[in-house]
Amino acid sequence: MNKYDFILIGVVLFVFIGLTIFINFNSKSGNKALVYYDNKLVLEVNLDQKRQFYNVLGYNGNVVILKENGKIRVTEEVSPYHICSKQGFISKTYESIVCLPNKIVIKIEGKSNLDGVIG
Amino acid sequence: MKKVIVVLTVLLIFLIGFLIINHNKYYSRNLFYMDTYIDIKIKAKNKNQADKVLDKVDNIFHEYHMLTDRYNGYIGLINVYEINNTKKKDKSLKIDKKLYDLIDYGLKLKSKTNNLLDINIGYAVDVWKKYREKGEGIPKLSELQSNTNDIVLLENNTIKNNHPNIDLGSITKGYVTKLVGDYLKSEKIEDFIINAGGNVLVGNKTNGYKIGVKSPNDNGIFKVLKANDVAVVTSGSYERYYKYNGKLYHHIIDPVSLFPPNYMKSVTVICKDSSLADSLSTTLFLMSIDDGKEFIKKYQDVNVIWYSNDDKVITTEGISKYE
Repeated sequence: MNKYDFILIGVVLFVFIGLTIFINFNSKSGNKALVYYDNKLVLEVNLDQKRQFYNVLGYNGNVVILKENGKIRVTEEVSPYHICSKQGFISKTYESIVCLPNKIVIKIEGKSNLDGVIG
Repeated sequence: MKKVIVVLTVLLIFLIGFLIINHNKYYSRNLFYMDTYIDIKIKAKNKNQADKVLDKVDNIFHEYHMLTDRYNGYIGLINVYEINNTKKKDKSLKIDKKLYDLIDYGLKLKSKTNNLLDINIGYAVDVWKKYREKGEGIPKLSELQSNTNDIVLLENNTIKNNHPNIDLGSITKGYVTKLVGDYLKSEKIEDFIINAGGNVLVGNKTNGYKIGVKSPNDNGIFKVLKANDVAVVTSGSYERYYKYNGKLYHHIIDPVSLFPPNYMKSVTVICKDSSLADSLSTTLFLMSIDDGKEFIKKYQDVNVIWYSNDDKVITTEGISKYE
């Protein structure tokens, strides 16, 4: 083996390690809330401690979303029964908020050991 | 030696590249049909394939949504609304074969379920819906009773025009979920998960899918099932309901008593066929847990988890294979 072989091996190792870190980094970040209008991702919220209101447009009008203490909820929307406002905060990866009349869905993305939830 | 290392290195790089390029990815779609949020996730080769397949899935749900819609008519389509409310004077109505087959399936369930699954229950469902939306009072039995005509299917995809009051809500989601699962498999999509409002259907993947069953009391998971190629359906009293005089009135109506019973907080059925799982979960919800244990004995490879009113979890023996 000469020094070029070592360089080659070094490069291969570097690529390997780089890839591993990249893939892990991509799947490891903390919980995020994804807000969809129909099939369009309209808002991404990092679920940190800071208190923050957001406004997105739903089918019936404005949908107001509040994030605080690592949780997220809907506080105002235009719908007959306000089911999603009444639901309150969610924070776990298997939880979601669905506002059918507004076609708004909030999902939590993060590490989860579940593929789906029923009930 | 040097050559060997160079060749190996090049091969390794190709292998990594191949793995990255050919790495199948998950694609998902949100659908809003049948008064339900439907969430579909599939593993596909590329975005093109995923889009094509998910568009078709959207079409299937959309078509059944329109065919089974009780509240809206669509020009050029004879759906459940039209059958129930038509102003046509013809003796019979020609309907889409898909709707004919679904109604036929629903009618046959009645005798199999001790009359607990009745798709001609629209009248009582509407009365309860009005009370639920008001959030107070309960209907008198006389308000719930109707002299709705029987549903009569005739030959050649026709139905007798006698204004029945069809409500396919208790069977359509499971039925269509099954069709969608079959379609995905025909497209060689093995790894998928469909969640259509309390109806979950999973495909195949190594190590199986982990499905959490939510507690009816809070948002916690009280059981995790591990499975491949199986449908899991829950019926519960805790999603659409109102309380009056301290009593809970939910949306699953017993077609015999015409009232929503409170035998349990929820029941979950696990079996291969998602349409069977859907109809059985409704049926079991409408009988006591003891009666349910007896009733389910005649079904092969169907497993059940009951969540009782006093928060006990009761399961059939076979459930252990999903643990």
